[in-house]
Amino acid sequence: MIGEIARDVVRPILTGLKLTAKRLRRSKITVGYPEVKRELPPRTRWRHVLARYENGLEKCIGCSLCAGACPAKCIYVESAENTDEARFSPGERYAVRYEINMLRCIFCGYCQEACPTGAIVLRKDFELADYDRPDFIYTKEMLLEPLPIRQ
Amino acid sequence: MASLAQEPGLVTITIDGTELQVPKGELVVESVKRLGREIPIFCYHPRMKPVGMCRMCLVEVGMKQPDGTVRMMPKPQAGCTLPASDNLVVITDSESVIADRRGVLEFLLINHPLDCPICDRGGECPLQNNTLFYGPSTTRYVEVKRHLPKAFPLSRHVTLDLERCIQCGRCVRFTEEISGDAQLAFLFRGAAMTPRTFELTDLDSKFSGNVIEICPVGALTSSDYRFRARPWDLETRPSTCLECANGCSVWFDHRGGKMVRINGRVNDAVNEEWTCDKGKFGHGYLNAPDRPAKPLIRKEDVLAAADWSTAYQQIVAHFEDGRTAVAGLVGAKVSNEDLFQFKRMFHRHFHSPNLDHRWTRILPSQTEGVRGLHGIDEVHTRIAEWESVNAALVVGNDLASDQPMVYLRLRKAWQRHGAKVVVISERPTYADHFASAVIRCEEGKLFEAVARLSAAVLQNREGADALRAALKPFAPDAKDRAAAEALKGEFFTVCSESVYAKPDGGKTVSALANLAVGTDNAQRFNLYPVGANDMGAALLGVHPGGQGMNTREILEGCIQGRIKSLWLLECDPFALWHDHQQVQDALENVEFLVVQTSAPNQAMQYASVVLPCCAHVEADGTYTNIERRVQKIEAIWRPKGDAKPSWKLFTELMLRMNPSRPIFEPSELMEMIIAEDESFAPAAYHNLEGNGACLPLGVDAGAQLFMEIYQ
Ligand code: SF4
Ligand code: SF4
Ligand code: SF4
Ligand code: FES
Repeated sequence: MIGEIARDVVRPILTGLKLTAKRLRRSKITVGYPEVKRELPPRTRWRHVLARYENGLEKCIGCSLCAGACPAKCIYVESAENTDEARFSPGERYAVRYEINMLRCIFCGYCQEACPTGAIVLRKDFELADYDRPDFIYTKEMLLEPLPIRQ
Repeated sequence: MASLAQEPGLVTITIDGTELQVPKGELVVESVKRLGREIPIFCYHPRMKPVGMCRMCLVEVGMKQPDGTVRMMPKPQAGCTLPASDNLVVITDSESVIADRRGVLEFLLINHPLDCPICDRGGECPLQNNTLFYGPSTTRYVEVKRHLPKAFPLSRHVTLDLERCIQCGRCVRFTEEISGDAQLAFLFRGAAMTPRTFELTDLDSKFSGNVIEICPVGALTSSDYRFRARPWDLETRPSTCLECANGCSVWFDHRGGKMVRINGRVNDAVNEEWTCDKGKFGHGYLNAPDRPAKPLIRKEDVLAAADWSTAYQQIVAHFEDGRTAVAGLVGAKVSNEDLFQFKRMFHRHFHSPNLDHRWTRILPSQTEGVRGLHGIDEVHTRIAEWESVNAALVVGNDLASDQPMVYLRLRKAWQRHGAKVVVISERPTYADHFASAVIRCEEGKLFEAVARLSAAVLQNREGADALRAALKPFAPDAKDRAAAEALKGEFFTVCSESVYAKPDGGKTVSALANLAVGTDNAQRFNLYPVGANDMGAALLGVHPGGQGMNTREILEGCIQGRIKSLWLLECDPFALWHDHQQVQDALENVEFLVVQTSAPNQAMQYASVVLPCCAHVEADGTYTNIERRVQKIEAIWRPKGDAKPSWKLFTELMLRMNPSRPIFEPSELMEMIIAEDESFAPAAYHNLEGNGACLPLGVDAGAQLFMEIYQ
């Protein structure tokens, strides 16, 4: 009886504790998120950004190719014509409205792949939680990169 | 393979090793389609003459010799200019054809800006498609491309991007061959060659929208549609244009509840594949931001949103059993079902015969119209028949404005087999350039001009002595006699009801009918309506009949206080009636005014109750065009706000006044229409798939002359 208890209960516990004791010597692999954040791999695909050229013009030309490529159909693009007075992007066309429904996005990156100007890029910001559904519609203003600061 | 038995008019050709019989002279591009194959094309268009400008359609061609060998031509030939002849051998898939195509495309792309991502044609562009299937995947051209103005406005509607043009000439040929206004021509030569209007004037055409659709690249684009959407953003649904009574088949592209563009849809019975500019660019009102979305009721001086039941209550209080003190006026874009239910409501529940759908100055009663005075039907000729007429008399306003598709067919008849056309009008018209005689009369003298021409025509003929005698006072001059030469034999007459807007319109119509009857051409007489469903309204009896008041009498009745309540269904009298002051007085004086409308209009200012109703794209319904073709339009998107289909609204009101079996579907109303009027039998809903169904034309009671007009 005693022998059985020693074999089936005590021994497994000791084996487990031995493993724990061994691992205690190694360094931690978890980090103290959110105080500490880890550097993500270079090809991480998270929150989209609408990029700008160095001179501040938007790269997006409102071509809707990203919307056409998106398997989740979560991009809406409405475009308009640039004028000399109000120029947003090089060339004739720019996006007046650009919206992504982040609830539907599956972060596949097809939009980035389809974009002829490299305007829509998925970067590393993954902290996308929010409280209200409407807040998940990311507008052009939210997605656009801030204007480069003039030296 | 043994040769197939030869049938007359057919020739045997061999395409890629398959022998087949095709009509002699058929172009090889067309013959190839019979095998389910395709030759890529740019400049060729099945409805225009081939020119062989782009060389995209190169094929290898040979002749089968009597000894069975094939002698190939040394160079590839353009398939779009090559007529089929006996023993022709065509090869469309050899190595060298594939290399030729790649070469042609490489050349075409040398100067093409390749700005597909911002081009309105991107996604539905023949140049993109052909390049994808037949072209090279990269370019070897590293030099600087041709640079030309990017967005050159040809007119308010058409924008030209000179860099994208591949100089196929389709647009130039369209204006020369189809629309006939010859507005575009090529300027300069070589790489600088560009289609332009002469002297850089505006592209002034009633059919300019079509060049946008037939341009095989994004060189000609619509200024309205410019940058509004890409093809994959759009939902495309078949529909029918209601801007005039021709009822052209169109594709209706919408995005997010907004109409974005209209394109022609192939319908060989009506519009072939064309649209007129009125239709193509004229649907903006559907996007109006201030369309009524809720019933509005006037409280003191302002219209305030209300619920349906209050609105119904007020309407019933003012209209029920109103007898001759209530009246209804109807616009053109109302479906057959709506009209029928409106009429039933007026007849059965309001006990009022005061209904009218006409807005012209002259409103012939039933005994005064063509049918009443002359015993013949108003319409005898279907739209497609116009392309085979040999002689035609065109009277009144510009045919190209009133009946655009009849105009295009008639011009085709002239171009194909030299149809003789006589035009009588007060102002220059589109048809003048191909007419064999043009009689230009002074304003208000249309009747005299028709009478003089009638006299001249009758001089060449036997019989109709009574008419000839009555026409004595109208002495034809040399011009009339020359014109009459064209009308020696059978001829078709076409006039539009817009002629009733002229003071002498009634007499003009009667004189035309007399001429047709007197020359045995009554079977070729046509007086076409102008508003989208005017024909339906006339057939369904939405007019005063024997006892009711017509539009003029109703407006006068409102001023004098005889009409207490007036119902305006989808019409704005300010836009339609010639006398503004009279409309204003009428609407100010009438006690209770119901304005039922899908778009905001001026009459709303005077309304007691405004009822929102569905536009044609928001409700199912049928419409009857000039050739009595009943076409079904299906709801494309949901009604704005609380708007209801009109027939539903009338049904609900009728149920309120007299509980009976409700109606759930417009098809039930069509069944009731058929039960009431047998001639509608072909229009049962199950027959209306595709291009609709035609009701009988040319129902004549016995042609007769009416001479009093000449006194
Ligand atoms: S990442 Fe994928 S799902 Fe998300 S917007 Fe881009 S294409 Fe659409
Ligand atoms: S992000 Fe790129 S693909 Fe999307 S509309 Fe802008 S330019 Fe076109
Ligand atoms: S504008 Fe278009 S249709 Fe006209 S020639 Fe150029 S490519 Fe052809
Ligand atoms: S399609 Fe034949 S040459 Fe253009």
